[in-house]
Amino acid sequence: MKISFAKASQPAEGALVISVLEGRKPSPTARQLDEKTDGLITRAMAASRFEGKKDQTLLLVAPNGLEVQRLLLVGLGKPEDVDVQAAEGWGGMVMAQLQAAGDEVVTIAVDAIEGCSLAADHLAAHVAFGARLRSYRFDKYRTKEKTEEKPSVGKVVIMLDEHSAAKRRFSVLDGIAEGVFMTRDLASEPANVIYPESLAERAKSLADSGVDVEILGEKQMRKLGMGALLGVGQGSERESQLVVMRWMGAEDENAAPVAFVGKGVTFDSGGISIKPAANMEDMKWDMGGAAVVIGVMKALALRNAKVNAVGVVGLVENMPSGSAQRPGDVVTSMSGQTIEVINTDAEGRLVLADALWYTQDRFKPQAMIDLATLTGAIIISLGDRYAGLFANDEDLAARLMAAGKEVGELLWRMPLDDPYDKQIKSDIADMKNTGGREGGSITAAMFLKRFVKDTKWAHLDIAGVTWAKKDGSVTPKGATAFGVRLLDRLVAETYEQK
Amino acid sequence: MLTIRFVPAAESGKAPEALALGVAPGGQQLASARIADADGLVTRALAGRHRFKGDEDDVLPVLTASGWLVLVGMGPPEERDAKRLRRIGGNLFAELADSGIVRLDLSLDVSSEDAAELAYGMCLRAWRPPARYRSKPDPDEAWSLVEVVVATPDPALAEARFSQLAAVAVASAWARDLVVAPGNELNPDGFCRQLDRLADLGVRVEQVDPRQAGLTLLQAVGQGSSIPPRLVMLRWQGGEREDGPLVFVGKGITFDSGGIDIKPWEDMEEMKGDMAGAAAVAGTIHALAARHAPVNAVGVLVIAENMPSGRATRPGDVVKSYAGLSVEIVDTDAEGRLALADALAFAAATCRPALMVDLATLTGAVEVSLGRHRAGLFTADDALAETLFLAGEAEDEPLWRLPLTDAYDEALKSSIADLRNCSWGHDPDALHAARFLQHFVPDGLPWAHLDIAGTSEAEEDGPLAAEGPTGFGIRLLVHLVEDRCQG
Repeated sequence: MKISFAKASQPAEGALVISVLEGRKPSPTARQLDEKTDGLITRAMAASRFEGKKDQTLLLVAPNGLEVQRLLLVGLGKPEDVDVQAAEGWGGMVMAQLQAAGDEVVTIAVDAIEGCSLAADHLAAHVAFGARLRSYRFDKYRTKEKTEEKPSVGKVVIMLDEHSAAKRRFSVLDGIAEGVFMTRDLASEPANVIYPESLAERAKSLADSGVDVEILGEKQMRKLGMGALLGVGQGSERESQLVVMRWMGAEDENAAPVAFVGKGVTFDSGGISIKPAANMEDMKWDMGGAAVVIGVMKALALRNAKVNAVGVVGLVENMPSGSAQRPGDVVTSMSGQTIEVINTDAEGRLVLADALWYTQDRFKPQAMIDLATLTGAIIISLGDRYAGLFANDEDLAARLMAAGKEVGELLWRMPLDDPYDKQIKSDIADMKNTGGREGGSITAAMFLKRFVKDTKWAHLDIAGVTWAKKDGSVTPKGATAFGVRLLDRLVAETYEQK
Repeated sequence: MLTIRFVPAAESGKAPEALALGVAPGGQQLASARIADADGLVTRALAGRHRFKGDEDDVLPVLTASGWLVLVGMGPPEERDAKRLRRIGGNLFAELADSGIVRLDLSLDVSSEDAAELAYGMCLRAWRPPARYRSKPDPDEAWSLVEVVVATPDPALAEARFSQLAAVAVASAWARDLVVAPGNELNPDGFCRQLDRLADLGVRVEQVDPRQAGLTLLQAVGQGSSIPPRLVMLRWQGGEREDGPLVFVGKGITFDSGGIDIKPWEDMEEMKGDMAGAAAVAGTIHALAARHAPVNAVGVLVIAENMPSGRATRPGDVVKSYAGLSVEIVDTDAEGRLALADALAFAAATCRPALMVDLATLTGAVEVSLGRHRAGLFTADDALAETLFLAGEAEDEPLWRLPLTDAYDEALKSSIADLRNCSWGHDPDALHAARFLQHFVPDGLPWAHLDIAGTSEAEEDGPLAAEGPTGFGIRLLVHLVEDRCQG
């Protein structure tokens, strides 16, 4: 789908989207159109329940005399409530309504709004961004889809006077959208297509955007002593991988980087502690954290972020087999600490233990943030609207919370207290890999904490937010890429040279 | 309870049966220990004992020619706050309870106030289930230690402070007695009889019949039992007549079988403790009254037994609540929120509350979320959240705030009524429950909900409570009241 920006005019085809504020106050474009059509819009609003409230829409057939086929009225609510997220929701709403309505061209008129803190070009860029994000589809495996089932929209034109300023703003956002789409693609791919080596190969494509990509295989990891990560992958036919991505965008190439670490279990059967059969197919997206890290590295590169950033993803497949890890096995991590593997299905923390240690050891990052679909307990705790945030640094936690709020990827702080640590004491090794049902997300975070030295560190448990069961305003159901926009925002606000 | 006496430092000179002396990290002996070490006794006792680090949970009893010498880890001096001193006291009691020592003399070189805190910790730890449930004493639970004599600079001052604290310890022990009481003894009638003792302390105890008061949800929860449900108001008028009271609401399901949606059999006996919220509220009022706290407080207890029977509430039943909202009861085992909903609305309508806090063993989800160390705190009021959080930290009853949000409202939508009481099989249930309750609290009234399902009973021994009921919430609420009286 192509997005372009053009000067306000009368579009000649497709659907035209016009906005209305709460209280049935039409935008200037809508008012002009109303006059031109002898009050069609006023009459239509009167005949319906459309009042211009946020998220209300009204679809009309265009009358004779207009060249477009359809008019879509979108309610924006009160002017003071129209913020960046509302603008993105507006674009998303348009796509949700018109994507399969039959029009090839959709023109969205974005007028300046009196009483709104954002200028028209700013609004327009985010309307376009919302439309782009909502238009995502993962349909490569549908071979027999009928034309009428496919999206009809091939072109979205955002119409406003300040079109070139809007276009400039959008080019940055478009880079982020590319990152988001890469993440969604990776998480959506089935596990027979995406396995450690093929995922590493996909990450390698970031080299085209200027990211330095390095891949470590099992031999190298064994040399480094990554016994925790390797133990998880040993039941699979697929070779485990560790991918290191570096984007050196800061002026000072020696500046300490910000590091992102992702859990990439390309399929998690649970291993010998095998999962129940129901919904096990969801475990193809147990590499969601790694996908986010890859996506955010791509976004930073595409928008040429002035920052040094490192992404490290540990990629393994967790399978039962004759060579698989057994419950009770003791492994030695790269840090030298030993772990008793009580439950082979608490494998993500084993992968992260080595990935985190490696990252801080090698790169001495100024901050380290890991993302992982780590625990079912976080879903019971916070549901599908908040990811769990665990941090050893107040400032980093506050910045992450703020970034999340700005982009609509909400975090909720969870505790990281010593009393929880005793749940992971082992009778035989330095620690065990599960602390039981109670406080399950916290004990997982406490486990990770044992592999963090004095680095500022945050852990995002994204198990509840990585896959959406229903459509959201800018996220179609399926892979959400939760975290890409948040981390991009964090970098822009905190680590990027202004 | 343990007998505690405070004496001047000089008096405890002659060789006692057992003498406790303080040691800081690094083996550094406190003043009294140094005096006792004149002949090198303490140094010899510590020799080679590398596990004794002088931390707050280190206790080392050694038998010497002149009796027991008990070395007590006091932790670093800068960390020796009330919370630590209580823990030191609690650990000390736990270590010596069945040592054979009958009388313990403490010479720990702490201030008089701190001595009171330390003794308070010992008293909190010195609770165990009443012996009356056994026909003969359990030899494994024979406690020898009955008397503690504390040497302190100003015994009168220590005594004054301790009497305030002991009021809370007594209340806490009572609340634990209630929680541990079996469901055939502590049924709704039995619970109400227990509450009558509060009248002796000047508390007005008033029983409300749910049928007469229109507490239909509470009635629905209790109607399966042969013993009818009750709402009990415990009024303590210690403040100015016109001041709106602090209202504490407690969930008191004396036994929760789950009702028609009956629970699995495993561990079901633990459901006799599903009234821990009400016990904590009763204990709080007990403590406030015993201390003559200058405050108006009302405890509101919803007391019912949730049983399956021919007249029990059925899944799918719709009940119009006291507040007027109709509720579809899709799960009879999500009963606590039903009873509390009516109690919150009723208290708000009849008590003119300045503030409402409810305590409930409400959801299994909060145990998964926060484990057994912290209870869930839900409130829309940031200032109240902060106050409660800090009170919890200070009192070793830690909380953690969880979202009170409309984000999951879809889950509480009923296809037939205004609300349904839970969303079968959908997470996050602790958040759903809190949001459900919010519908029954008037806008603008400061209100917090504490989900204590994970903290009302301990699964292992801690410094201030052994495995079993903890009385969680009493110290926290008393602290909240103290804050408000001072503020």
